[in-house]
Parts: sequence; C-alpha cells; structure tokens
Amino acid sequence: MPKYVMVIDQARCVGCMACIVSCKNENDVPPDHFRTRVIENVSGKFPKLRMELRSELCNHCDHPPCVYNCPTGASYKNKENGMVLLKKNRCVGCKACIAACPYDARYIHPEHGYADKCTFCSHRVEKGLEPACVKTCIGTSRIFGDIENPDSEVSLLLRDNYSYALKSSAGTDPRVFYINRITKPE
Amino acid sequence: MSDLLQPIRNFFTALKFITKGGTGYYAWLAFLAMLIVYGLYSYITQLDQGLIVTNMRDQVSWGFYISNFTFLVGVAAAAVLLVIPAYLYNFKPIKEIVLLGEMLAIAAIIMCLLFVISDMGRPERGWHILPFLGTMNFPASLLAWDVLVLNGYLAINCIAVFYVLYKLSYGKEYKMSFLWPIIILSIPWAVSIHTVTAFLYNGLSSRPFWNASILAPRFIASALCSGPALMIILFQIVRKVSEMEISNTAIFKIAELIAYAMGINLFLFMAEFFKEFYSGSIHLAPMEYLYFGLHGHSNLVAWMWLAFIFNLSAFFLLLRPKTRENFFTLNMACVMIITGVYIEKGMGLIIPGFIPGTLGEIYEYGPSAVEKSVSMGVWAFGALFFTLLLKFALPVYTGKLRFKASESGD
Repeated sequence: MPKYVMVIDQARCVGCMACIVSCKNENDVPPDHFRTRVIENVSGKFPKLRMELRSELCNHCDHPPCVYNCPTGASYKNKENGMVLLKKNRCVGCKACIAACPYDARYIHPEHGYADKCTFCSHRVEKGLEPACVKTCIGTSRIFGDIENPDSEVSLLLRDNYSYALKSSAGTDPRVFYINRITKPE
Repeated sequence: MSDLLQPIRNFFTALKFITKGGTGYYAWLAFLAMLIVYGLYSYITQLDQGLIVTNMRDQVSWGFYISNFTFLVGVAAAAVLLVIPAYLYNFKPIKEIVLLGEMLAIAAIIMCLLFVISDMGRPERGWHILPFLGTMNFPASLLAWDVLVLNGYLAINCIAVFYVLYKLSYGKEYKMSFLWPIIILSIPWAVSIHTVTAFLYNGLSSRPFWNASILAPRFIASALCSGPALMIILFQIVRKVSEMEISNTAIFKIAELIAYAMGINLFLFMAEFFKEFYSGSIHLAPMEYLYFGLHGHSNLVAWMWLAFIFNLSAFFLLLRPKTRENFFTLNMACVMIITGVYIEKGMGLIIPGFIPGTLGEIYEYGPSAVEKSVSMGVWAFGALFFTLLLKFALPVYTGKLRFKASESGD
C-alpha cells in the first residue's frame, strides 16, 4: 500500500501563493480560513537580507495528537495510505484536536461547526491525480508521492538531500518534509 | 389504589416544601430564572450563528467556557475534603454536613457538563462521545475518559445523596453497609476527575504551559482550596436561613484544611515559577505572558497578580487560628480564595496554553458578550438546582419533612 508524503523544496518556492488559491478553490475552504499557507521569514540586516519561504500544511503525522485526542473517533489515520482524515458527521466540535495540533493545521468550519483540515486532496489522489496545491505549483516546489516506493520522486529527493520536518520534537513524526538549500533551517 | 397514589402524594408534599418560602427566597428564584432565560436566549443565538459569536478563534480554541468548566471540576471534587474526615476519621461535626458537600458536588458536575456542551460546535452530535451508543475513542482520548469519570462521579454522588434522603424521608435509618462502598469509591474517584481533566491539557506536547508534570498535582491542591471555601460560605448561609445546625468546629476544621491545601498550592506555584524563569527556555513565553506581558500583550497580568496576592494573604489568614476563627477574616479569606483560584484555575490556566500559539502568534482572548451571558446562565442554573435541592433536603434532614409510607408497609 502507498504511504503518501509531501516534500517541499524551499529553494524552488517563488512565494506566488498559487497553492493557497488552488487549495481554497478545490476544497471550498471558508473565508478567513486556510488549509495551507506560505510563511515568509526575513532575516539579516539591509542590504544583506535573506527570505525563507516555507509552505505549511497538515503534516499527516504518523503519531497524530489530533487523532489521539479526538473523543469520538471522527479524526482518524487512514492506515492504508497514511493520511490523517476526518469523518465530518461524527465531529462534535469540541476543539480538542485544535488544541492538540502543534502546527495550527485545523480550524472549526464557521458554517458547519466541525473541525476541518487539509486532506492531502484524498478525493483527487483516489482518482490518481495529484493534490491541487502540487498540481498548480509553478516552481514544482511541492512534490507529492509514495515514500514506500524507492523509485518515486519523493524517495529519491529524500535520499539525496538533507531534509527536516517541523517540530519533530513534539513527537508527532510528521509526513511533510522540507529541503532547504539556502537558509539554515530553524 | 391508595398504595399506587402514595408516591404521587409524597411528591406533592415535597413540592409544597420546595415552593414555600419568604420574599427573599422568591426574589432569589426570580433573579436566577431571569439569568437563565437570558443565558438561554444567548445560547440560542450561538446555536443559530455558530461559535463565531464567541471570541474563540483558531489560535485560542478553548476559552471562557472551558475555564469555568475547569474551575467547577475543582469545586466538585472538593466534597472529598468533607468525606475523608467524616467517614475515615469519624469526625462527628463534619459527618453531619457531609451531605451538603455531596450535593454541591452534584450541582458542580451538572454545571461542568453544561459548560462542555456550551463549548461544542455541534452539540446535537454529542451522543457520539457516549460509550456503546456512539463511537467513543476510548482509551486513547482523554476527553473520553473525562466523560466517564465526570458522569461516574455524578452517579456516585447522586446515589449517596438520594439514598440517604430517601431513607430519612421515610423516617428510617440508612444502612452503612450499603453506603460505605460508595463513600470509599468516591474518594479515589474525586481525585480521578481532577487528574483526568488535568491530563487532558497535560498530554498536549505542543502546549508547553500545560505539558508540565506539575499540572495535575497543582490542580488537586487548588481544588481542595476553592471548593471547601465555597462550602464554608454556603454553610453559613444555610445555618442562617434554615434550622439546620452546623457547628463552628466543623467550619474551623475545614478552614484549617484549606490552609494546608493552599500552602501546598503556593509551594507548587513557586516550583513552577522558579523552573520557568530561572532556566528561561523557550517554554517561558506563556508564563511571561501571564505575569509580565508578552510583546505588549498583557490582558491577564493584573488578574494573575491579584490572584497571587489573594491566595497568599488568604493562606496566612487561615493559617493563624486567631484569624481563622474570626468570622469576618474567615469569610474574607474564603472570598479571596474563591476569586484567586477562579482566576488561576480558570482563564489563567486555559488561555496561556494558547498564547503564544503554536506558530508564535498572539491572539489576545477575552470572552464575548454571548459567552459571558451563557456562562452566567449556567451558573444561575447550578445555583437554582442547588437551592431547590437544599430546600428539599434540609427539611428531610432536620426531620420536618416526612413521607407517609404506603399501607402495604414499604
């Protein structure tokens, strides 16, 4: 069975924010909420400045605290493909997952009252398509694929480059990896 | 036929006792009813428009409701401070009033459950959390544990209180052999409602303010202050408006126990304060926000120092026998402890878990008008429930209210 991960090559990100727009469009994300975002970190002193661009989304953790804390089992880890997903009709809106998530990946849907988050576009992946943000990425900074397959692009990238994950100290074992060739990772 | 009607007649006898009272009593009921209706109206607004009418956002996902819930879990567990001296040490003056403590626990747990329901975005799906009926995520989710222990504690106290009242209302002695196991069970259970609620916050690795092992012990220590302090004040009111006798010995003993609990609470606070500020790691930020303000955001600073000063001075007032046994200073200390712990174990515990957020954002939270009025409504409902329960229980306890048994001799 495939285990899906995302690799984000930060050097290739141009900060166009097209991923955010396509995500909102594809998933009908309510106004004022985002399932993905691009962080712009400026460091240094003028004129010697550096900007780090870092796309962030749900990390689809292997040890997802949101799933552990959910009282109803509405949040779950799909064992077959490793995605952290949500059964919306079971969510009571208790917000324990939001408190548990170290990445601020979740929000309460303002109209429907359930928790909502990035699904790795599971509805597209099932049909053999890439997630919307990956498909639209102009610099091919976002790469999506199966980490179990040693010949997949993500496996090759992770083999050949130094990669890191966000807040791995939180014990979450994230499935979104970052490759940063320009600025030092935090 | 008359046998079957007897329980109904008894019900009306009880109803007569509950509805009879002076002007002050009716004014109190009307005042509470008004708050409840207003709270209900606000809650309907919240149901209609969603949680957006509260000031909770993605950054601060738990707010005033969960703060009140946390404080009330503490009040509920405080009954154990009466149960232990009453039954384990057979301390007679407290044994006479242990029932009141258990009734306060029932009222507090009911308020807890109402606050949790108020906090839900989709309360109509609440049954999913229940065991068997729903798809409860047990044992992974601490919230599922919380559902079990809170409802269990409610059941234990209901059985204990209503069994005693039932027996007394028919003029019979209650059997200690039946009551004893329930009482014994209620002691660890009271500790468990605290521990589980504390663990609910404690287990979140991304929230450094909560992810400290001192959280659960401090929780219990502060609960053993606030609940009994509330009880001391309630005892004096009960003593004044009813014929129930509550001895000073009992009240002073409870005050002494509060002093010890507060001593432990202050010590644990100091331990936490030292560790954070001396090591000055990145985990210091929430503590800094609470006590000194962070990047110009300092909504809670004045409150937290007020709580600290209140707790400290109440500790000394209750420690000295002279001030402990003077009703003016005793009541002052109790009010200070209730306020202090309400700040410290309410907003002071929940909000810094979210400030700064996991992305380093600071969203300063304060309850919205809807949150305030719904909370007021819940408190009023708890007070109304407790008042009516007392109005029934006190005449039974003092022997004024006795039901006639059915003729078949039940």
